[in-house]
Amino acid sequence: MQPISQIENHVRDKEPALGVGQFMRSLTAIIWKDMAAELRSRELISAMLVFALLVILIFNFSLELDAQARATVTSGVLWVTFAFAGTLGLNRSMAMEKDRGCLDGLLLAPVDRTAIYFGKAIGNLIFMLIVEAIVLPVYSVLYSVNLLLPGLLLIILLGSIGYVAVGTLLSSMAVQTRTRDILLPILLFPLVIPVLIAAVKGSTGFLQGIALADILPWINLLIVYDVIFIAVAFMVFDYIVEE
Amino acid sequence: MESKPRLLKILDIVTVLLFISAVGMVFLYAPLEAVMGQVQRVFYFHVANAWVGMLGFLVAAIAGVAFLRKGDRKWDIVGLAAIEISFVFFFTAIVSGSIWARGSWGTWWTWDPRLTTAAIVELVYAAYFMLRQGIEDPDRRARFGAVYAILSFISVPLTFISIRIFRTIHPVIIGSGSAGAEGSFDMSPKMLQTFMFSLLTFSIIFVDLLWHRIRLGRLADKVENLKLKVLQ
Amino acid sequence: MLTSILQQAPAETTRYMVAGYLVIFSVMSLYILSLFIRRRNLERELQILDEMEQNQK
Repeated sequence: MQPISQIENHVRDKEPALGVGQFMRSLTAIIWKDMAAELRSRELISAMLVFALLVILIFNFSLELDAQARATVTSGVLWVTFAFAGTLGLNRSMAMEKDRGCLDGLLLAPVDRTAIYFGKAIGNLIFMLIVEAIVLPVYSVLYSVNLLLPGLLLIILLGSIGYVAVGTLLSSMAVQTRTRDILLPILLFPLVIPVLIAAVKGSTGFLQGIALADILPWINLLIVYDVIFIAVAFMVFDYIVEE
Repeated sequence: MESKPRLLKILDIVTVLLFISAVGMVFLYAPLEAVMGQVQRVFYFHVANAWVGMLGFLVAAIAGVAFLRKGDRKWDIVGLAAIEISFVFFFTAIVSGSIWARGSWGTWWTWDPRLTTAAIVELVYAAYFMLRQGIEDPDRRARFGAVYAILSFISVPLTFISIRIFRTIHPVIIGSGSAGAEGSFDMSPKMLQTFMFSLLTFSIIFVDLLWHRIRLGRLADKVENLKLKVLQ
Repeated sequence: MLTSILQQAPAETTRYMVAGYLVIFSVMSLYILSLFIRRRNLERELQILDEMEQNQK
């Protein structure tokens, strides 16, 4: 497969010695492969985006909200939307690897396994952030609420990182089972509850202008979650993809 | 199949005796609670069940790490056994907790951190079983099971903490503002003894059941391998 | 005096205790029963497979 050999060449051209340098090169190569593929087909982002907008639309009809009720519910609606759209992205991203044989190719290449994980995870994160970046202004316009607050954006970033860290790990497992697409949300959602709780509470905090000191516990929780699970992913990913 | 080891036979007897004693203590020895009445007695076994659930989860996570590092199938059997038992006991804990809540505060469910976390753990277990079901290759099944057991074990305390922080703002029981609804009551010495004895009894029950379930798992493995050999 | 005694009596919640313990005992029993049944089924399968293996030799 063409992109794989490109990655191999890219990596081999430099010093053969293993190390941070090669890790970074593998990493960027994998991320770039995903970005390039997506730029050409745009199937992932468009699917996630359309889905997210549809979910927001449905929320408008299922939750009859006056302006005041909406203030308390906005974070919840946003994060449910992101969680479901995120699942779509994670599923498709891994499925594409598996179906086109890219995953096997990547594993055969002299690429550090962890670089594969981080490459996919960062790629997934970028897709998720792009979708969020579009959904936020749309939501702001549809519901006349300003969502472009720095605090809120920080929460969204931290929450997305945690979500994608665990999601990439689990989707690499789910894609190797018979029940694939259905399995990922079932595996993912129970584990990602701390992220959802902290992100929703943190977002609401910033939206309602609550004192930073009160929002801090949620930000801390998100950071702790992110750090822990990125570290665990480091240790555990090898076992998921070994043959 | 190997016959029951002598130690296990002894353990079985000890377990049954402890269980009967614990039941006796709960109904005859422990005093009647002043406010809630008889339903408070459910508390002893309710917590003991939850305790076994947590034990099982811990054992499964450790077995998961052991399997990934050593690659020995027996750790997978241990992990599956622990999660299965934990699943059953958490289920009992949740339902008995619900009945206790109904009897004490008139509501079938409280969104308190412990009960909610227990419910989430049940869903985690369901996910664990579904994950294993979807994999044909036994080695991959064991590996993925181990990974998921580890990941979920790490996430559950974080879940508990996040719900805890969440709940310090919201009432535990929707519609009730009373602090007593948090589930606390003062334990007299006799109550405390009954409580501790129940915990002990159920810990032994856990070990006993785990041993039995592991033996069952080994038998199942043996049958599986023989099937592959004979039904070529 | 009667009212003060009534105020001190604990709530009448025996049926909930019964329900609670019914659940605990029955679920535990069912699980142990399932262990027995599964073991018996597996041992039966093992026997059949052993015979099949013998016949194949």
